[in-house]
Amino acid sequence: MITARELVDAIEELEAAALHRWIELGWVIPVHENEELQFDPSDVARVHLICELHYDLCIEEDSMSVVLSLMDQLYATRRTLAALVSAVAEQPEDVQARITDLINRNGP
Amino acid sequence: MADPYQILGVSRAATDDEIRKAYRALAKKNHPDLHPGDKAAETRFKAIASAYAIVGDSTRRALFDAGKIDDSGTERQDHPERRSYRQHAEANSGFKYERQGSGAGQDEDDLFAELFRRHARTDVRGEDVNSAFAVEFTDAINGAKQRVIMSDGRTLDITIPAGVMEGQILRLRGQGNPGRGNGEPGDVLVQILVKPHPLFRREGDNIHSTLSVTLGEAMAGAKVAVATVSGSVNLTVPKGSNTGTKLRLRGKGAPTKGGSGDHIVELRVMLPDQPDDALVQAVVDWEAKHPYDPRKEPGAPS
Repeated sequence: MITARELVDAIEELEAAALHRWIELGWVIPVHENEELQFDPSDVARVHLICELHYDLCIEEDSMSVVLSLMDQLYATRRTLAALVSAVAEQPEDVQARITDLINRNGP
Repeated sequence: MADPYQILGVSRAATDDEIRKAYRALAKKNHPDLHPGDKAAETRFKAIASAYAIVGDSTRRALFDAGKIDDSGTERQDHPERRSYRQHAEANSGFKYERQGSGAGQDEDDLFAELFRRHARTDVRGEDVNSAFAVEFTDAINGAKQRVIMSDGRTLDITIPAGVMEGQILRLRGQGNPGRGNGEPGDVLVQILVKPHPLFRREGDNIHSTLSVTLGEAMAGAKVAVATVSGSVNLTVPKGSNTGTKLRLRGKGAPTKGGSGDHIVELRVMLPDQPDDALVQAVVDWEAKHPYDPRKEPGAPS
């Protein structure tokens, strides 16, 4: 966990005002601990990503909300699918084969 | 690594602005977080980012153009060990950014709702495991202990209760799949199938069988040993019995709550394999004096 200050210091192009705006918009959700904002590794990676999208790819605030929302939905779906895939992998081989057959028949 | 200008698709004479535009266009197309699961895009993005790290910075570009730095060893060093956001997002930590309505299984009509609804509760009872077991006819009547091998390889000792019916389901409490959290384990449900028996047939609580008797036993009466599900018993065949005569052995059927059903024996009169002339003649002579019509039953053709 790192603080907002440490995060701003770690990323060259990031300014505290921008970070707080992103928190306000719900793009990043740090935890409040000991009257400080704490960022876990996933928050840090997310801030890096938003920096890349914003400063490198010039995605502005309005479009960023759409991009992040779609991205979050995609990741949620991929996690669900991953859970499904690992559940299938735990089934006996004949059950796995039947599921695969059905998927292939119905088309992915 | 290939030439950074080539990677970005720009000429060596391109302006900084052209390089930046080319980089943005390529990065948008290949950013790993916008193309999760696409390994090729991820590899391309790394190459694009490395190329841009050299020629997107005017100082470095000048050094590169002058041959003072090469295209290897110039990978972006600002956060070399940083895990990409995707690695977090696809792990459980990504759950935090799963917004309302975007998460799987949150809405009733969501694609995965039915499958994942149980996730909402922490303590979930384990699944029941269905199984079937074929028992011998006599074991189903008299009860037995049996070892059942489950589909997951476990063996379970089950008690077949006396009198169990075909299709009846035995519930073995707590032997199913483990629960989640503090949820109880599920049950094993064993459906009983009863193998057919060469002699006996079950109808409700009664057992039916057919008993062959000789002409003499049927006409004169006899005591005959007959097999029942509880062993051999002596049956009195009354004088003048016939094929189709039914005799009831009380309490020799399947066990019930209050006692037992009956065993019903249906007689079948068997002529000798090779009746001799004397027997044939005697019967023919007898019939001549005592004609009878075995076909005068109601509904029989006259």
